[in-house]
Amino acid sequence: MPQTSRELVRNCLKFDSPERIPRDLWLLPWATQHFPEEVKQLEARFPSDITKPVAVYSRSALVEGDPYKAGQYIDEWGCVFTNLQDGCIGEVRNPIINDLADWQQVKPPYEILPDIKELAREKVNRFCHETDLFVLSSCCPRPWERYQFLRGVENAMVDVLEPENGFLDLLKRIHEFYLTEIEFWVSTDVDAIMFMDDWGSQSNLLISPHYWREFFKPLYRDYCNLTHSHNKFAFMHSDGQISSIYADLVEVGVDAINSQLFCMNMKDLAKQAKGKITFWGEIDRQHILPSPDPQAGRDAVREVAEHLYNPAGGIIAQFELGLGANPATANAIFEEWEKIH
Amino acid sequence: MTNYNELQECIIKGNRIKARELTQECLDNGNPAKEILDEGLIPGMAVVGKKFQDGEYFIPEMLVSARALNIGLGILKPLLEASDVKPVAKVLVGTVKGDIHDIGKNLVAIMLRGSGFEIIDAGVDVSPEKFVQMAKESGADILGLSALLTTTMTAMKDTVDAFQADGSRDKIKIMIGGAPVTTDYAEKIGADGYAPNAAIAVEMAKTLVGGSR
Repeated sequence: MPQTSRELVRNCLKFDSPERIPRDLWLLPWATQHFPEEVKQLEARFPSDITKPVAVYSRSALVEGDPYKAGQYIDEWGCVFTNLQDGCIGEVRNPIINDLADWQQVKPPYEILPDIKELAREKVNRFCHETDLFVLSSCCPRPWERYQFLRGVENAMVDVLEPENGFLDLLKRIHEFYLTEIEFWVSTDVDAIMFMDDWGSQSNLLISPHYWREFFKPLYRDYCNLTHSHNKFAFMHSDGQISSIYADLVEVGVDAINSQLFCMNMKDLAKQAKGKITFWGEIDRQHILPSPDPQAGRDAVREVAEHLYNPAGGIIAQFELGLGANPATANAIFEEWEKIH
Repeated sequence: MTNYNELQECIIKGNRIKARELTQECLDNGNPAKEILDEGLIPGMAVVGKKFQDGEYFIPEMLVSARALNIGLGILKPLLEASDVKPVAKVLVGTVKGDIHDIGKNLVAIMLRGSGFEIIDAGVDVSPEKFVQMAKESGADILGLSALLTTTMTAMKDTVDAFQADGSRDKIKIMIGGAPVTTDYAEKIGADGYAPNAAIAVEMAKTLVGGSR
């Protein structure tokens, strides 16, 4: 019998020779709005091996609008996002904590977490039992991005250099909420817990690796430890050039990392992390996926495979079909991954 | 003769309080504002740019240095204007229509300002017509366009085309930057250059101005 999707992904993560490279397609609403038929065909031909469960959170009274619609969206922390385009998320233009001395005004949205944990757990577990797919948590702790949403990007950056002025207090408040969130998810039957933070610019880390290790690495270590203590896998996403912290992510126990491989030197990444972590994508969405030439997608897959492929596992064929992406190139990417073994 | 090393160091370390004190002290000692700018503030920021380029400094360090620089510039500005000191050039910067991401644009503005350029910041989601209008009103020598998204970078071409249609393209140099942008794209749309980061944007701006004068 062929391995199920769940078995494929688990074997991939454990370097236990999956029968094929597992797939994971990320879809932004933009893609389904612009290419509904092509997306349907792509999903039918190359179904993802990874999924997320049904929603079990309550809606916060603060939430207004749709995060993927043009206009204004207010999230459950009260952060106001401005969005000019349908199909993608917006940006916080006016942070709610202008003066860091007001950090205590931040109220994490504990009210959205399941009221009756047993019922929510039962719902998630039923979902997990009824699918052969590998199930990721429907939570996504993001301490750095949440900090930026609350303080604004530039303030957040400067706060890192002046941590005694409330930075550590606010970060702790955010982190405690995310730990509570993860505690619920590790009590369910999901296979993995996901968290994220975009740490890179195009060419370097946003902040010094020294400060990253001092302030943020311990947070991800907490998430990984909690996840592993319940025999689940830790999945992380981080955009940008993050090669200077790749070894740290391996060290704290991240099992799969979704990163912009094409911003980095893949040969260097292979030296640091091949065989120690699973490369959960991606294929470049800035230049390759928008390309009208499917061969660009095929070449990109070959480049990743040349440096990072290991027959024992460690690669999930993932990419995002988002703004500007070309469905023909997306097809070619999955076709090419099928040839890698 | 004043030793400007200490003032430079304030900018490099991002020490706002000391930057204010030393800038004022230099003025009180009778040093010309232009000399304080050229010997103290600009060389300090040049070191910051070099450290950023070399991967020794990151965005937070650049931002705190910019805050110290701005304090010094704020003290000098009225004196520089009164003595009719000209900036290296005027640069109009902005994020193109449909895009509200501005950290890249802001970093470029910081580094240019710290290198003696005058910055006119058009903000975000700026239409091609608005860029043309602001370029005319300000007499900008260079236009710096920023875009983060693959779907908005096309507005860079619209902006270049708007200057062509207006007949003012030859009066301004256009450089572009942002995550999805490349040198090839700059050539394709008829821009004068592409800068992958803020430090290179300064070098490019100097080259573009030098080439046009």
